Amino acid sequence: MENSAFRSQRKWNIGFILFLTLLLALLSQISIHLTLIMVLGISLGFVLQKSRFCLVSALRDPILVGMTQLTRAFLLLLGISILGFALVSWSAAQRNIPLSLNIFPFGVHTVVGGLLFGIGMVLAGGCSTGILIRIGEGFAMQLVAFFGLAVGSVLGERSVKKWSNAFGEWPGIFLPDILGWVPTLILEIIALSALWQWARWWQKKQLGE
Amino acid sequence: MTRFAIDIWGEMCPIPLIKAKKKLLSMQCGDILVLETEHSCTSRGIVVWAKANRYTIEEKEVANGIWHLELTKTHE
Amino acid sequence: MKKTLQTIIHGPWAYWVGAIILGVLNILVLIVRRQPWGVTLNIENWTEWIGTNLGILNDRGFTFQGLMAASGTYLNLGLLLGAFWATLVASQVRFRPIRDKKFFFSALIGGLLMGYGARIAYGCNVGALLNGIASSSLTGWIFAVAVFLGAWLGSKLLLKYLI
Repeated sequence: MENSAFRSQRKWNIGFILFLTLLLALLSQISIHLTLIMVLGISLGFVLQKSRFCLVSALRDPILVGMTQLTRAFLLLLGISILGFALVSWSAAQRNIPLSLNIFPFGVHTVVGGLLFGIGMVLAGGCSTGILIRIGEGFAMQLVAFFGLAVGSVLGERSVKKWSNAFGEWPGIFLPDILGWVPTLILEIIALSALWQWARWWQKKQLGE
Repeated sequence: MTRFAIDIWGEMCPIPLIKAKKKLLSMQCGDILVLETEHSCTSRGIVVWAKANRYTIEEKEVANGIWHLELTKTHE
Repeated sequence: MKKTLQTIIHGPWAYWVGAIILGVLNILVLIVRRQPWGVTLNIENWTEWIGTNLGILNDRGFTFQGLMAASGTYLNLGLLLGAFWATLVASQVRFRPIRDKKFFFSALIGGLLMGYGARIAYGCNVGALLNGIASSSLTGWIFAVAVFLGAWLGSKLLLKYLI
């Protein structure tokens, strides 16, 4: 880092921190709730960039380069989230606090959408979260991808009715409703651990060649 | 001991790693592969991959947001 | 001690460290927002609003006030600012232009496919995959399998056209 081409951006950093503080202070005058949300958003962006966390890489690299380190980290994130969500939604139900989880209806369009999303994220070099992170990092390519994402999302939102009318749609299934909370959690954690073991085995196999 | 370099400048993840893997196949033991990228995730991905493969790798930030990588092919 | 601080500021952090902190933040978002973290729906709503004002799209009732009061707006804005800040504290900020025309088209096509796919499946990697599975919804698992297969197809295309 003694290299002459490297210039400290500390002054800009101090300026940006002042700007963020001002922005949050202003927002807190309007709504504390939104300020909290924004702080969480900034933290998410910060952590995603600092740990180079990339959901595309987690899903693509096992296939393309045989690396599963990020896949396993993603499985860990899933495990933490499952347990945390269960705890939060259980305690919210105890206190009668309204809380909505992402239980979406499914149908043919879920599968088609997933396939298109998977193809798109590999081509664009980031999923929708990754795109926002990379725009923050200064990539022009993901700015183009963001434009595509915005246009595509409107087209998708306006055609989802056609998909569900043509191929049908089934109401979302909340697994604890059928299996009960404890078996669901056990089943999910077993599934994640099995995937984790598989990912570890897969990377060893790929590197062993 | 020869130094090789491949151009991965501006390439999207994971193309640099795929190119590097291909190049490594044609290299002898002890040869060094030099890479330069401005993509934080690309640099990180290559370092993680090289370490998992037990290759020696040196990562250096030569300018703001530009990483210079030197990978030594220590074994086949 | 100084070295630890240097690593925290400069990064990169280990993947599993990121996973644990992201998991905690994801749960905190659920607690504060009373709804899981999502990304694309808010982007779609903003585009609807812009399109309506440009006269391209028919009005679906999105107002500027409504969008500014939506929590998704602040999550997405926060992601962008947070990522920029993370780059700035490490003095790694620079503009990274597109170096090859093929990446312009792959980004545009990829973005379009992604946006369309995300909205017909009611969510992206975060809203439908991560938080669908975290909500113990069967749809989340179905979507995850589909995205994985899609990533496999995308990898084939990448190997064929982009290398």
